[in-house]
Amino acid sequence: MKVIIHDMEDMNFNKMFEENMLRDDKEIKIISNNGKIKGCIGCFCCWTKTPGVCILKDEYNNIGEILSKANEVIIISKCIYGSYSPFVKNILDRSIPYLLPFFKIQNKEIHHKIRYKNRFNLKVYFYGENITEEEKDTAKKLIKANKLNINFDKYDILFRIPEEL
Amino acid sequence: MDVCIINGSPRKEKSNSRIIIDYMSSMLEGNNIKVHGIFNTGISLEKIKKDIDKCCALILVFPLYVDSIPSQMLEFMMELEKRGVINKNIVVYCAVNNGFYEGAQNRIAIEQVRNWSRKIQVQWGQGIGIGSGEILPHLKKVPLGSGPLRNLGKVLEKFTENIKLTRKGEDIYINPNYPRFLWKIQASLSWIFKARKNKVKIWEILKKI
Repeated sequence: MKVIIHDMEDMNFNKMFEENMLRDDKEIKIISNNGKIKGCIGCFCCWTKTPGVCILKDEYNNIGEILSKANEVIIISKCIYGSYSPFVKNILDRSIPYLLPFFKIQNKEIHHKIRYKNRFNLKVYFYGENITEEEKDTAKKLIKANKLNINFDKYDILFRIPEEL
Repeated sequence: MDVCIINGSPRKEKSNSRIIIDYMSSMLEGNNIKVHGIFNTGISLEKIKKDIDKCCALILVFPLYVDSIPSQMLEFMMELEKRGVINKNIVVYCAVNNGFYEGAQNRIAIEQVRNWSRKIQVQWGQGIGIGSGEILPHLKKVPLGSGPLRNLGKVLEKFTENIKLTRKGEDIYINPNYPRFLWKIQASLSWIFKARKNKVKIWEILKKI
């Protein structure tokens, strides 16, 4: 399954979606902002009370399960200080039920063990008008760190101005 | 000197960030310290911004979420950028804690705060990355600077000295003064105990949806 996580206005995203070959993919899950997403509260219930599922009641409580079925994830996000935008970051903050609370050592650092065997490839499109070189550098480091902590396979990062999306 | 500390943890007063803020506050005694939690109700962003605008040192304290700044903290920082920080003489510091062992895993979040300080055109002071924030509530009886809190005590001393002088410093990352293999065993067991309190068995923790 292909998963697209984006923070674009629906109209702009739909236009881009229609113009691209993305619609030819048989199975696509699109995660967009309905304006009602709740923020992660750091309760860890997704590990210790309802394992694998976020306890917050909204449309975004099954991100871990969605990622477990993905072979490709595309993130389209505004680049903010070298981070994803708050909506996309919130999706990732709430994706931790994809992982287990237990730890492993990888690249000489502690990381979480994974709940699922599947691994996906990630493509990140960062967009913005005035992304500085420092922000680009930080964003690249972020994706590299995410690779270890969220445990995806290969990744690709592209920086675009909004018109180029 | 006016110091403004922002607690960016959704766990508010029960957070590990709050414990770090309390340690820092006692080391900064004698200064006019205002602590605000971005999740606390009953205080407007305008009021927080007023305190930020009149402070000399602004300290952001928050937990690491997926290698970077938690989404709500990011929103708060964006809102401050949008409204514009009036006082350009502010020096920004940050202390980020994580649930891993290595404080160095906070480096990207610190970089993001530094990028933010450039965007809002205020001075950057220093960032510290604290490993093993989850251990802090269990060490309330251990004096800061001794035992597993030895490294944290030393670093907070340097950090708060720089804050008092609004001086710049190199970013510092610290691990707990505790063997990593023991930490790993205890941290893993703690998840099992927490789940057991919720009547969740070990094999249920591992379940796939």
